[in-house]
Amino acid sequence: MSDGANDVRLERVRKSFGAVTAVDNVSIDIPRGSIFSLLGPSGCGKTTTLRLIAGFEQPDAGDVYIRGACVTSIRPYRRDFSMVFQSYALFPHLTVAENVGFGLRMRRVPRHERAAAVRNALQLVKLDALGDRYPRQLSGGQQQRVALARAIVVKPAVLLLDEPLGALDKLLREEMQVELRSLQQRLGITAVFVTHDQEEALTLSDRVAVMRNGIIEQIGAPREIYERPRSEFVAGFLGASNFIDGLVVANDGAAIVVDTRAGRVAATAADIAPGTTVRIAVRPERVRVQRSTDGGMPARIRDIVYRGPITHLYMDSAAGPMLSYRQNAGAETWRIGEEIRCVWDAESAIVIVPERA
Amino acid sequence: MKGGWAWALVLPPLGTTLVLFVGPLVYLFWVSLHTASQSELYGHALTIQNYMAILGDAFYLAIIRRTLAVAAVILGISLLIGYPVAYFVALQPARRRMAILLLLLFPLMVSNVVRAYGWVAILGRRGVVNTTLRDLGLIDVPLELLYTTEAVVVGLMTILLPYMVISIANTLASLDPRYQEAAQALGAGPVRTFVHVTLPLSTPGVASGMLLVFLLTLSAYVTIALLGGPRSKLLVSMVYDSVTAFQWPHAAALAFVLLGLALAATAFLLAALRPRRVQGAGR
Amino acid sequence: MTDRYTVGGLLRGTATTIAFALIIVPIVIVVVTAFSPNDYFEFPPRGLSMRWFAEFFRLENMRNAFALSLELALLAATLSTVLGTLGALFLARRRGIVAGALQALFLAPLVFPTIILGVALLLLYKTIGMPIFPGLLLAHAIIGLPYGFRTVLASAQSLDPALEEAGESLGAGPLRTLFLVTLPLVWQGVLSGWLFAFIVSFGELNTALFLTGPGLTTLPIEIFSYLQFQGSQLVIAAASTLQIGLIIVMVAAIERIVGIGRIIRGR
Repeated sequence: MSDGANDVRLERVRKSFGAVTAVDNVSIDIPRGSIFSLLGPSGCGKTTTLRLIAGFEQPDAGDVYIRGACVTSIRPYRRDFSMVFQSYALFPHLTVAENVGFGLRMRRVPRHERAAAVRNALQLVKLDALGDRYPRQLSGGQQQRVALARAIVVKPAVLLLDEPLGALDKLLREEMQVELRSLQQRLGITAVFVTHDQEEALTLSDRVAVMRNGIIEQIGAPREIYERPRSEFVAGFLGASNFIDGLVVANDGAAIVVDTRAGRVAATAADIAPGTTVRIAVRPERVRVQRSTDGGMPARIRDIVYRGPITHLYMDSAAGPMLSYRQNAGAETWRIGEEIRCVWDAESAIVIVPERA
Repeated sequence: MKGGWAWALVLPPLGTTLVLFVGPLVYLFWVSLHTASQSELYGHALTIQNYMAILGDAFYLAIIRRTLAVAAVILGISLLIGYPVAYFVALQPARRRMAILLLLLFPLMVSNVVRAYGWVAILGRRGVVNTTLRDLGLIDVPLELLYTTEAVVVGLMTILLPYMVISIANTLASLDPRYQEAAQALGAGPVRTFVHVTLPLSTPGVASGMLLVFLLTLSAYVTIALLGGPRSKLLVSMVYDSVTAFQWPHAAALAFVLLGLALAATAFLLAALRPRRVQGAGR
Repeated sequence: MTDRYTVGGLLRGTATTIAFALIIVPIVIVVVTAFSPNDYFEFPPRGLSMRWFAEFFRLENMRNAFALSLELALLAATLSTVLGTLGALFLARRRGIVAGALQALFLAPLVFPTIILGVALLLLYKTIGMPIFPGLLLAHAIIGLPYGFRTVLASAQSLDPALEEAGESLGAGPLRTLFLVTLPLVWQGVLSGWLFAFIVSFGELNTALFLTGPGLTTLPIEIFSYLQFQGSQLVIAAASTLQIGLIIVMVAAIERIVGIGRIIRGR
């Protein structure tokens, strides 16, 4: 853990509001130039964590560091960060250009330089012609870009974003996700953003922290936490999963065999002793469906939902309901009520040891 | 509400307002354009002499100047005291804020004559101030605090202060705190956040507060009569005097000069402050 | 955002203390004086007594003024609330220049210098020979109209338009929709408007100044006359306290029925 390479660091930070602990002993390291997202359901503490980095909330315990310096007791206006708010918070009494230039004005950048920087920033977000308009004259997407321009023009050490794309419609959101990522990479700014949309987190981030009830359940690269979730909650939050409960009956060091109500299932896991109750999670896209009765888990198709590029197959098996995503690339057709077999690779089975309640 | 029924709804209030509000005012204006009469309410000839007499007379001009000066002082003090109070109120959590605003609303419902009487009781020769100063041995002879223009200013200012506070507080309380946070995120400390963000965004409340206080100052006859002396008479006092002397055209002209002042000041205030409809970009 | 212990906070706290002192203290002094046993004004009074309240009710002109103010306020409030409600229901869903102008017209008596209205009405009444009480009643009805209008307008506008549409889809014509759907849902606005109009009428001075006459004065005017002509101050304190007491009862009633929030926001 080299401080020099971390732009943001939270060390055992805790924050309570009355009887509720919003952020409970959270520690995070964010390397320079990366995008980090805080993901979780509402009330999990992600926004509070962001606001603790900003300084709009003071931690009850723990410290916040920005670029190696301890900023815990420093007011927000003296910290090196900028923020894109969920509601954009564009100053209604200032033009777009004045909004974007506000931070530079606070830093006493001379007018000439300021105007050039503002022009630059507006060009980056593709809004060059709109400098003289007022926020209320812009569309939601345009306002969002202005908020972004305003935040990046001051070249902050850290860029904080609070559900920045939440108010946009789906198409616009996806467009902005790509733009946001390319902008961040071009400028090399460390970014931390908060979202409840797991797809967004997976798309944008270098690393994701999944939070629940004030604690971080798992931190990792998108692929890692999606394919190797360490808890039921993370598995369930990041996407649909098929859950199969069972008892480990054998472990040969590389793989385990689990006895379930639908027969024996293999999974790659090293250190789980026989006799442990486990929950196997298999992502629906990994579940293949076959008519051949050679191997696999028997199931009956309950419902078929056509979803454009993918078809969802809802099935019932002895081990519980099963879901499979099948790409509509071929001529496969299924019928409701059909008896089929579910198959997946052993590597696709994620083993989760359930938490003791 | 469509069609015929709709007109049944609006006709009573509209009719009443036209007949009892707009109508009489038009009539009053009409009368102001006539000569005076000894036997009737007003004479027959049309003239603008009534207005010329007022606007050309040094006496009345002095009264107008005094009226504006008093109004300006009251506006200044009520803004100076009222803004910080409004800010304080706006910062309170919702329930407490509402309770405080209710506490401010209550004095406004007490008749002005009662509130002015309170100041008579404080500033009079045997009033609270004089009695206290006498008991403390600081003075021998009671101070003549009452029946002065200063007493009018103090009394009227305290009577109208709640309007200023409530007006500004409502606007401040409805401001999205994210604006101030955004300013802080961009490096503005508390003072600069206030100057560059909070203050400009509070202009609607400031404007409506100032307007209300000004207009009420112009028509505050009773307070002026009770707390002021012969040299504290303002334009509204002149209106009253000429009405009780049955000088209708003159009184009417005075009334419309007063109204003209009100309109001019309103236009000036709105132009100077340019209160925007601060709907903002927020959700 | 809470108020921290800063220079700004200190400034605000000081200003607030001063402001409240300046605003409330005069009223408190009046109320305390009303209970004074003395013959003349002295503060603080040397004890407590109800003699001045007794005196108030003993004096015929005081009694009559109180009764007149009460009667006037009851009738004027009712009249202005009816008119204001009608106007509000008409304008609730309407936009545009005409609607805006009408709304400004109905709200005008709030900001218009009422003393000039008093002068204008006196002139009109003298010209057509209007008797005193009806003249005063109409004046107060106009002055109270904005209050009923404003509160009912806000109530009506916050109604889901789907409710009235639902009523119509179930067969209720415009009149029945009005009585069975709309009015029951805006009654709080109507009531709080009525209470405001009552309070305003009861304490109104500027038009009463011109429109009252010999034998027919309102309580505030009576108090004013006493003060101007150096009548007994302590009876006035009692009269004022009665008015204040009435207001407290009314405001408590409004608060109980519609809640603090609505009062402050004027709806």
